[in-house]
Amino acid sequence: MMSCSPFSPELLQQTLLYVILAATGAFILAPLLVRLLLKFQITRRGEFDFTLHGGERLFKIGTPIMGGLLVIIVVTTITLLFNWERTYTYVPIGVMGISALLGAADDLLNIFGKRRRNRTLPMTLTLIRVHNKWYMRLWYILTLPWTIFERSTAAFGSHPGKGVLVHEKLLLQFLAGAVTAWWIYFKLGAQWHTLWIPFDGIISLGWWIIPLVIFLVMFTANAVNIADGLDGLAGGSLLITFAGLTIISWIEGRAAFTLLNATVLGALVSYTYFNIKPARFQMGDVGTLGLGALLAINVIAINKTILLPILGFIFYIEAFSVIFQVFFRRFLGRRLFKMSPLHHHLEFKGWSEERIVMRFWLIHLFFVIIAIWLSMK
Amino acid sequence: MLSPKAEKLIEQYLNLPFADIVSVRCPYYINTRAKQRAQLRVLIGKGLPEEIVEEAKIISLQYHQGLFDCEGRCLVPNLPNNKTTNPPAECLKKFLVDYGLGIDCSGFVSNVLRTHFEETRKIDIANKFYFVSLKNSIRYFICWLRPIENMSVRRYISDKNTKKINSVAEIAPGDLLIMLETGPQKNRNHIILITDNDGKTIKYAHARAWSMEGKYDHGVARGEIRLIKPGEPLLNQQWVELGTVNENNETYLEAKNAKIFEIRRIKF
Repeated sequence: MMSCSPFSPELLQQTLLYVILAATGAFILAPLLVRLLLKFQITRRGEFDFTLHGGERLFKIGTPIMGGLLVIIVVTTITLLFNWERTYTYVPIGVMGISALLGAADDLLNIFGKRRRNRTLPMTLTLIRVHNKWYMRLWYILTLPWTIFERSTAAFGSHPGKGVLVHEKLLLQFLAGAVTAWWIYFKLGAQWHTLWIPFDGIISLGWWIIPLVIFLVMFTANAVNIADGLDGLAGGSLLITFAGLTIISWIEGRAAFTLLNATVLGALVSYTYFNIKPARFQMGDVGTLGLGALLAINVIAINKTILLPILGFIFYIEAFSVIFQVFFRRFLGRRLFKMSPLHHHLEFKGWSEERIVMRFWLIHLFFVIIAIWLSMK
Repeated sequence: MLSPKAEKLIEQYLNLPFADIVSVRCPYYINTRAKQRAQLRVLIGKGLPEEIVEEAKIISLQYHQGLFDCEGRCLVPNLPNNKTTNPPAECLKKFLVDYGLGIDCSGFVSNVLRTHFEETRKIDIANKFYFVSLKNSIRYFICWLRPIENMSVRRYISDKNTKKINSVAEIAPGDLLIMLETGPQKNRNHIILITDNDGKTIKYAHARAWSMEGKYDHGVARGEIRLIKPGEPLLNQQWVELGTVNENNETYLEAKNAKIFEIRRIKF
């Protein structure tokens, strides 16, 4: 069933069934996943935690990470078995898979990988002058543009010394964004070359939709990643977002996306149950990057791109808090927040983890309701 | 005297405003060796006292040093025995030095003068300052964005920003003693802020690191120049700081050995 009438009761019934199926599947799978992650010691380590480290945080060390696998596995399996549409669902699942793989590599390398050398640009320039082997000097000259790219992207992230480097992450996310853009532009048809805006407005973007989609997929994936810093924050906020997205797709009568969003919603219900403080596991990059990309692609695919910052309000606020903090630090030499992202600033101000998470959920819910209302205009 | 707010700022540098620990003097830190670029001003020796305190708390939490709790309360008195052999103020001072928190001479002078002129003349000297020797428009833009960080000793000695004072008797609070190419290697510049002149004694404050003070004891200090020989140049007077006089006083030696030593006054 690719599309049906708006507000279809039949689709609603099916949607609820998918939510129940995904939630049940994830609930059964969760304890197994926790055991597996503990067995392979895929747990949070203290030495690379640059966040606040008061007594409250000590108990987090040893908590399994990569809990996001739960949602990825359940969503992929249910979609493959019951909601596989060549036109609508295979690309979102594929892009989520690419992003999740990148996140998984980062999670695993952060734990088991070796420290990675991060050569600075002045060091490379010195090597070009002084290296005693001519072919190495040539190599450094030839790879100089890559080194410049590598160093210029390093300013955008905090790298603990292990794991996937910022420039590698950006390249792979660009790939995920490019696949989405190709699908939107070439496969979904001319309707997706326009940008819907509330109150009956349409802006024709033509091929400009391609960079916009790439940017949004990359940005949203990273925004969700940034928000995954407190127990229940990313999971609960994603749950609210996908609930809103399910309602919007149902209202629009986009069956395939309604069911896909409902599956994610169901899986997130169980995930959040186990992720609430004290968390049994944490989402990790595998979940945040995968679900962040899926969120962007699903919003773009139902042609509600303009609502993405409202549907992902908390994620965008968190991401912008980091951007503003970097801007203030690099350009003005001052801190805007005591620590970024915003949830760490509030922790520093003395807010408890529960207070931050629940207030963020409520604020997020409010904006998702606004997005649903706007989508009907 | 400098304005009350400027005097208070100097006192805060001499006794950093940690909530429950007193007598932590702001250490000297200069970015020449670390060469940190596009960094927080507090990490390149240009921060205000409260910024230094705030950053110390953040670094302590971020790097798990356990000196402060999440509410910013100092935990030093409660640390395990191996860390309490020194008084809390010494522990904090060592922590500040180890993590590159402190103030350099021009940063200290700029922050104090900015406060002084804002209070007395309602002008922001950072906006009035002329950034000479700018290589290109990008440097100019950086100076416009981050003036305090770029108010260097060499820029203070420029005639666009300050004028030379020739007589010791004319020295007034807010004037500057500027030394270029001093130190053993003749590669250091230094700037001192005059805080008072009653005709018999000139009082000054500056941020400096004397070799005799070792790795951890340096920082912002006050000193005075006793005018024992009226009418003679400043270097012929008696320089007293930290209980040392003239040849034992490293500030005096720096002034004496400097290639250029001038008394200057802000022009704005």
